[in-house]
Amino acid sequence: MKHLKPVNQKADALSKAATDNQVDEVIAMQSVAGCTATTDPGWEIDAFGSVTSLCQPMESDLYGCADPCWWPAQVPDMMNTYPDWNKDAPSAGENWRNLGDVFPKSKD
Amino acid sequence: MNLITLKNKKNGRLVLPLVSLFSLSILIGGVSESVEAKTNQRLVVGNEYMLVTNYPNNLHVLDLATEKVMKTCQLPDDFGPGAIKVSPDHKTAYVLNNHYEDIYGIDMDSCDVVFTARQSNGNERVKSIFSFAVSPDGKELYTIQNPTLLNKDHYRIQEPRLAVYDTKGGLDAKPIRSFPAPRQVTVMSVAENGTLLMAGEDFYAVDVNTGEKTVALANRNWQRPLYAAPDVLNAWPMDTANNEFLSLYTTARFQDETMDLNSAEWIYGFHTIDLKTGKAESIDFGPITEIYFTGMRNPADSNIVYGVLNRLAKYDISKKEMINAAPLDHSYYCIAMNDKGTRVYLAGTFNDVAIYDADSLEKTGSIKLPGGDMAITTAQVFRR
Repeated sequence: MKHLKPVNQKADALSKAATDNQVDEVIAMQSVAGCTATTDPGWEIDAFGSVTSLCQPMESDLYGCADPCWWPAQVPDMMNTYPDWNKDAPSAGENWRNLGDVFPKSKD
Repeated sequence: MNLITLKNKKNGRLVLPLVSLFSLSILIGGVSESVEAKTNQRLVVGNEYMLVTNYPNNLHVLDLATEKVMKTCQLPDDFGPGAIKVSPDHKTAYVLNNHYEDIYGIDMDSCDVVFTARQSNGNERVKSIFSFAVSPDGKELYTIQNPTLLNKDHYRIQEPRLAVYDTKGGLDAKPIRSFPAPRQVTVMSVAENGTLLMAGEDFYAVDVNTGEKTVALANRNWQRPLYAAPDVLNAWPMDTANNEFLSLYTTARFQDETMDLNSAEWIYGFHTIDLKTGKAESIDFGPITEIYFTGMRNPADSNIVYGVLNRLAKYDISKKEMINAAPLDHSYYCIAMNDKGTRVYLAGTFNDVAIYDADSLEKTGSIKLPGGDMAITTAQVFRR
């Protein structure tokens, strides 16, 4: 980091936050907050380093993760950005073939 | 003869569609009347019911005596999360929906929408993360609003606030009071004396007339010697027959001041606030062997607690040990019980409610719901 210099306001603010030790004010999220990256184990591994405490099957957990924007990196954000993602798939287990991928729309 | 036969056949073919159409119109009329009659079917005083929601946007009333769907009410707008609170007179179901933005009051006897609070306004988008509750007299509804200003070139997070609605506010209800609120509040409940309890960093007790806040139960900031900070998942604003506000936690208890994680004891427990007396406790009930998303104490035996996700497990709290566990057909998020404490109902994820004997944990039945996944719905049980 010592070779990097902030060149805009945001980078400057980040740099100051780090030097003022304000990182201590950042507290791991303890509750669902919607569209915030969580540090929970994902669908790959559970809290024990195993898979038995992952939801079974994963389709049972799909909308429970998409609705509250729990893992926005893995599942389309149905809370804000892709609210109609599952409009043709009311049942994840039976209609999963109707679920498409998503891609940001052009802002032109 | 052939000609006649052909003619007859032809006539038959001509007549048949007419008869079919006629029959169909009767059938459609019959189904329509039947659906309408069922929608208007009143709940019976003294009977016990359970509410759940599911995709595409249904509110189901389940009769727990027959263990069948009694009626299905269509909800407006979009589904999600479908969290439910029931009014104290057990006539109105309040549902947080439309992607966490709006709260609807549904008259359960008629399926009519009698209350709507649209929380977003203009370029201010408002979400409530499972955080709503109804006052003990049924006159007010409380919600924690998390606003974001959607400006053209950037979004700006606003401070969360507690909004108070008059439940007679109709279909375009506006807050009658609002106060600053803590961040990260999810589920809420109301004590019998009207104090609003909310789960966030800690559990807060809030005066709904002044907004004044005190800590009712320390969570992240608990001071239990040799204990690590607890971890909780509060996403189901469930009410219980034994009148408590309960949340599961996991934590670690160290052997000594060295706080060595390798020798720490990993523990499941629950926070509980008695809604009648206000007594708040954090009680360990066993070692962590698997994950539960929700838990509930047996209304008939407060020494028994159940947890559910991939198994339905039962613990003896005083002995701090698991005494039984049942494998499940698939994961269920949300647990509920009847008021006698004899049945456990599992809801959420797919579209079937599983029913278990609370004593033996034998599966005794299931209720298949019309429609799609319940996803992250809340199951609420009540007696009219």
